[in-house]
Order: sequence, then structure tokens, then C-alpha cells
Amino acid sequence: MKTYWKLVIPITLIVLVATVLGACVPAPPPAVEPPVEEVAPPAEVPTWWAEAAAPYKGVTIRGISESTPPSKYVLEVLVAPFEKETGINVEFEVTSWDEMYTKAIRDMEAATGIYDFVYIEQDIIYAYLAQNFLVDLTAFSEANPNLLYPELEMDDFTAFIDNFKDAEGHVYGLPFEAFLKVYLYRTDLFEDPEIKAAFKEQYGWDLRPATTFEEYRQIADFFTLWGKEQGVELWGSTVQAGSHPAAFYEMFETIFPSFGVYNWGINMENWKATTANGGALDSDRAKEALRYWVEMLEVAPPEARASTWDEVAASFAGGRAAQGWVYGENAAWIATDETRSAVVGKVGVALPPLYEGVLDDAKARRGYIGYYDGGAMGIPHSSKNQEAAWLFIQWISRKEIQGDFAAKTARIVRTSTFDDPLVKEMDPKVGGYYTLFKEHGDLFKGAPPFPFHAPIREVILPYILKAIAGEMTPEAALDEAAKAVDAELVKLGYGQ
Amino acid sequence: MKSSKTAWGLLAPTLIILGLVGLLPFIYVLYVGFHDWMIFAKVSGLVWAGVDNYRELVFDEDFLAALGRGLRFTIWTVSIQMVLGLLLAHLLMKKFKGRGFFRAIHALPLTVAPLVVGATWRLLTIPGLGPLPFYLNKIGIDYNIGWSAQQAFFTTVLMHIWHWTPFVTLTFLAGLSALPKEPFEGAMVDGANQWQIFRYIFLPMLKPVILIALFLRIMDALRIVDEVWMLTGGGPGTATRYVGIHIWRVVFPMTNYGYGSAMSVLLLYFIIVVCWLLLTVITQAKREAGT
Repeated sequence: MKTYWKLVIPITLIVLVATVLGACVPAPPPAVEPPVEEVAPPAEVPTWWAEAAAPYKGVTIRGISESTPPSKYVLEVLVAPFEKETGINVEFEVTSWDEMYTKAIRDMEAATGIYDFVYIEQDIIYAYLAQNFLVDLTAFSEANPNLLYPELEMDDFTAFIDNFKDAEGHVYGLPFEAFLKVYLYRTDLFEDPEIKAAFKEQYGWDLRPATTFEEYRQIADFFTLWGKEQGVELWGSTVQAGSHPAAFYEMFETIFPSFGVYNWGINMENWKATTANGGALDSDRAKEALRYWVEMLEVAPPEARASTWDEVAASFAGGRAAQGWVYGENAAWIATDETRSAVVGKVGVALPPLYEGVLDDAKARRGYIGYYDGGAMGIPHSSKNQEAAWLFIQWISRKEIQGDFAAKTARIVRTSTFDDPLVKEMDPKVGGYYTLFKEHGDLFKGAPPFPFHAPIREVILPYILKAIAGEMTPEAALDEAAKAVDAELVKLGYGQ
Repeated sequence: MKSSKTAWGLLAPTLIILGLVGLLPFIYVLYVGFHDWMIFAKVSGLVWAGVDNYRELVFDEDFLAALGRGLRFTIWTVSIQMVLGLLLAHLLMKKFKGRGFFRAIHALPLTVAPLVVGATWRLLTIPGLGPLPFYLNKIGIDYNIGWSAQQAFFTTVLMHIWHWTPFVTLTFLAGLSALPKEPFEGAMVDGANQWQIFRYIFLPMLKPVILIALFLRIMDALRIVDEVWMLTGGGPGTATRYVGIHIWRVVFPMTNYGYGSAMSVLLLYFIIVVCWLLLTVITQAKREAGT
């Protein structure tokens, strides 16, 4: 009897505490990256795969990628049929962004050969190429013509594949995800007649997605106040300002370009960031941009200061922000998945607000308006199963699976995918995201081609975080950051 | 002679493993610390740098600030852990109903991996969504560790105390259980009060255990990375970027292996000096008390 009570009391206490906490806490936004719905492969699998893979049957290949909706789709939908068809076993590690880089770089740098295929984000490819980490896939496919899938159709890839080519046009990675960082807004709020009338009365113009930063701020101010008055948890804008490289990326790849500060403010001719040396990182425009973004935290949900890209998507999906800059890979689930999003059917997509002249710069290819993100799968030189890995990365790039892949994860790497019936059906549900992607994708751009991407990001990041936390003014932060970048680039062997 | 050989033979496997997993990596870190090695530099291999990394470190404001923050964190956490641990151990030595149950559950935090501790505390404290900001907001406290440097700092302190005080308690419990009863009984017979017993019998007799717990906690606290990384990521700003996190960022995301190795060696040296100073002060105090 005594033993019985010894068990019952603690269990009851634990259940009680859990119930009280669960009942009192506001409902969190939906899970960040729930599993993608499993579907059968949409197209018939050609027998070519079984024949090509016959010598590698029983081989196990290992790969690593960031835990994103596209990677989860590969893991949950594309791996099993490949294993069944080819007899090649695939161990695909889908992990956090930080860990993915740490593991992949360490593996390739030490040539340990743990990974047979790795995720190469567009921004890191230049560093990988400079260090000769990757297999030249063009040369590899020429040397192994029997392993080249006859229907791969390299010409069908969007121009995004150019990011993964060297100066001779040789390909080092097959794109498997690409998307835009777009301006999402709540259509239910923006189209509400009462809200529209109140907004017009206050600001004198019709409520619509902002095209300038002044408009964006006015909308943010309005909805933050409106949320307070209505007693709902709604704020004016998402901001990706956690103590994480994500804060750097939102500032340098979304806000800076739309303010007309390109290539991180680094002069690519002499590798200098200070204005005194021809850079723009400490320019007035850059300072204005950082101040604007930091001040946006006043009208952002409280979790903004702890948000990476995942939490930004979750905040928007939880209905906690009226508008925001959100990575396109999340657009599909935010707009359509009722099990994970509270704003299904209420999502609009638009081009981000821009500083005067930026759109003209982008059209003339002098600049760009925002971030064209994505990645490819490549094979490290250290891989011991390059042939089997090459088959797998072709498998996930096949044209016939692209429609479902794009509709589920809002990524497009092939031109033909834009016309896929599944994508066309999905487009209006995602506020016209795919149309915007097709028509205006060329106005966006990936990260600058820096072979020193990660070290320079890490040099700048603390200054951005200090500006967010108020340890430094945005102006002082960029002054110091620019000097630090100039010094670090010299250490890295650039801009001597 | 034969027994000496047998002893060395029996020790050999342990010594070989220790050498491979402890000594060799340390020698390697020492070696790398004397080189420039940035894998994304134009020259990406090991380049001999002599003591340049160490010379630069002495004037590196970010490193020194991180070291200072780490030291402040260590002073707060270790001193509270030691006091709380001693009190709890003392309490748990007494006989009361439910003592066994409390002894068991109070050690539960020790069984949780630091990363999980950090993740759990993050869920508890995440601004706008966690229960802690929610309830504190109800009583008029604006708690946001993404914004307030002080709140973030003390939340990491609290988390670390929660996680590691049971270790101190258990260490003291082991020490207390091994203490002989006679000196205490003798002191009571002689009319000593509780404070005198504590000050002149309990503390001196428990000193070796206290020193072990103190040094282990200082070393652990100064090197902390994982749980703080999960909770705050080193922010807001640089408020919780303790020296371990600073080194981690330099070595991994920044891939500056040479400089990061030098930092690690310097941190090790710093920890040894802190512990040695502490030991000297305590020993000196004892000597003076004896004279």
C-alpha cells in the first residue's frame, strides 16, 4: 500500500502540473516543420534506374541537409522508392542549419568520406569551389555516361543552376530547392472594409501591400495598435532578429538589397567594406536600413527577438503578424495546411517594399530587390560511393516528380514546373506565389559570390546583434562592422 | 619488481586510451594554436604563426569581454550552487517523511542532457509564447530574454543552478555520510553552539569535498556552451556570449581553427590559474587560522 502511494503521489503531481501549464499557456504556433504528407511517387519509375544501379546494389550512401520542407519531402517521399528501385540504401540526415554546415564542412575538409552527398546552399558554393571540396558533375557524367539519366534535361533547370557552375560552366550541384524571400500579408485584414476605412482615415491612402518602407511602417503601426485595441495578439510585422545568423541574413539579404545596398556593402573589386575604401557597409543608406529594421522590432511580436526563419514562419502562420518577410519555402504550408496554420486562405504575396530606384537597378541588373534562396545536392571528393550518390541526386531532380514536390514545398528548380497542373492549381491558394516567382524571380538574387561567406558573416553578426539589443546604435554598429570586415578580409588574403 | 610490471601492465590499456583521447588531442590543439588555419582563407592550410595568435588574444576585446562574462556567470552560479548544495545536503541528512523520495527527485535534473535542458528552458521562456513570460506578465513583470540583457543573464544563471545544484548536493551528501559522529558529539557535550559546530568542525572536516565540488563546478561553468547556446544563442546582443560560446563560434561557424585553438589553450590556462589561486587562498586562510 505504501509503495502504491509512493507512485501515485508523484504521478498525480506531474499530471496536474502538466495540465495546468498546458491549459494556461497561449496556444503556440503550429510546429515549425511537421512532416510533409506522404504521397506515392506521381510518375511511373523507369527501369533505367534499376539497370544503372545494379553494380551498387546493397551500397549505403549517406547525405546531410538542412531541416527544411524540401529536405523533409526528399526524406519522407523520395528516398524509399529510390531504395526500392535501385537496392541502394540511403541514410539522409536532416538536421539544423548550423549542424549541417559544421558536419559537412568538417567532413569535406578532413576528407573523412562520411557523407556521399551534401546540401550546398547557394551562398556557400563559392567557398566550397575555392576549396575544391566538390566533384565536377559535368566531368563525372561525361566519364560515366551509363549513369547519366537520359531524361535529366539539364536545360530545363532554371537559371538558378548557374550559381552551381564554375567559370567553364561545369556543374557542381543539382538544384533541388529554390524559392524567393517574399512579402507575405494577411488578405483577410487587408481586405476588411472596416479596417480599410479606418486605415484610410488615419493615413489618407488605401490599404494595400506596401511598396515603400514608409508605407510598410505605417501598416505595421496601424495593425499593432489595432491588435491592442481589439484585444488580439497581432503585431505589425515579423522580424527575424534572434541571436542567430538568421538576423544577419534578414538584414543583409533582404533589407539591405531592398534599400539599394548590394553584396553586403562590400566592394567586389577591391574587397573593402568601408566607404573610405569604396565599400558601402558604413554608408548612410546602410545605416538608414539597419535603423529602420531595428526599429521595426517595436511593432513585431515579442518572439521576434528570438526568431530565426523557422519562428518567423511560425509567427505568421500563427496569425501573430499582419505582414512580414518570409522565406518562400514556407509559403505553401502557411497558406494551405490547416493542421499547421491559422491563416489558411488568408495569405497574400507581393514584392517587398523598395527604396526609390532599386527596382530600376534590378531591372537593369545593377542590383536586386531581395533574396533568391535555395540549394543543390553535390558530391564531396571524399565520398566513397560517388556513383551511387550521383544516381540519387539525379533521382530527386527528375522532372516527373517536380510538380508535387513544388506544390508541397513551394520550391521550383525547373522551368517546366511552373506549368505543372499541380502548381497551377496551388498558385491561387498561395496568393499567386508561383506566378510572382515565375514573373519576377529574376529581380531577386542569391548571396554574393564570396569564397569567404561564413567567416565574414561571423565577423559582422555580433555588431548586428548589438544593434538589435541596443548595446550599440545601428550607426556605430555598422561603422565598427565595416572596419572589422576590412581587417578580416586582409587576414583571409583578400583586399591586401 | 614483478608486481611493478604487473601494475604497469594492468594500467597500460587505461593509459593508452587516456593518451589517445586526452593527451593527443590536447597536444594537437596546442600545435594548431601556433598556426594560422582558416579553411576559407586564400591560403587554407596550416601556416606557422608563432605566438601571434596569443599576442592578438591579449588585446582581443571580444574575447576578453566574453571571458569577463564567463567569469561573472561562474561567480554567480558556483557560489549559489555551493550554498544551496550545502543547505540541501544538510537538510537531506536529517530524517523526515518523504526523504527518500525527495533525494531521488532532486537529482533528476542531472539526468537530463545539457542540450535538452537548454531547449526546455527555451520553451519555458520564449518571448510571447512561453509560460514564464506569460505568468510574469500577469503580475506586471515584462519578461523578455530576447530583449533584456539582465533577464537573459540571470535566466542562464538560474538554469545552470537548477541543472547542477543536485551534483553539489550529492557530492556533499557523500562527504557528510562519511564524517565520523564523535567530533560532533564531543563538541555538543562541550557546549558548542550550532554555528561553532558548523564553523570549527563541520566545514574543516568537509573541506576536501567542498574543494572538489568547487573546482569541478568552476571548470564546468567557465566552459559552458550547450545549454546557454540552446537557451539564448549568446544573446541578446552579446549578453550571454560566454567564453565557451565565443570559442565555439570562432572555431565552427567562422572556421578559424588556429585562433580558436589558441583561445581554448588560454582558457585552460585561465581555469588552472583560477583554481590554483583559490586553492592558495583557502590553504593560506587555513594556515593563518591555525597559527
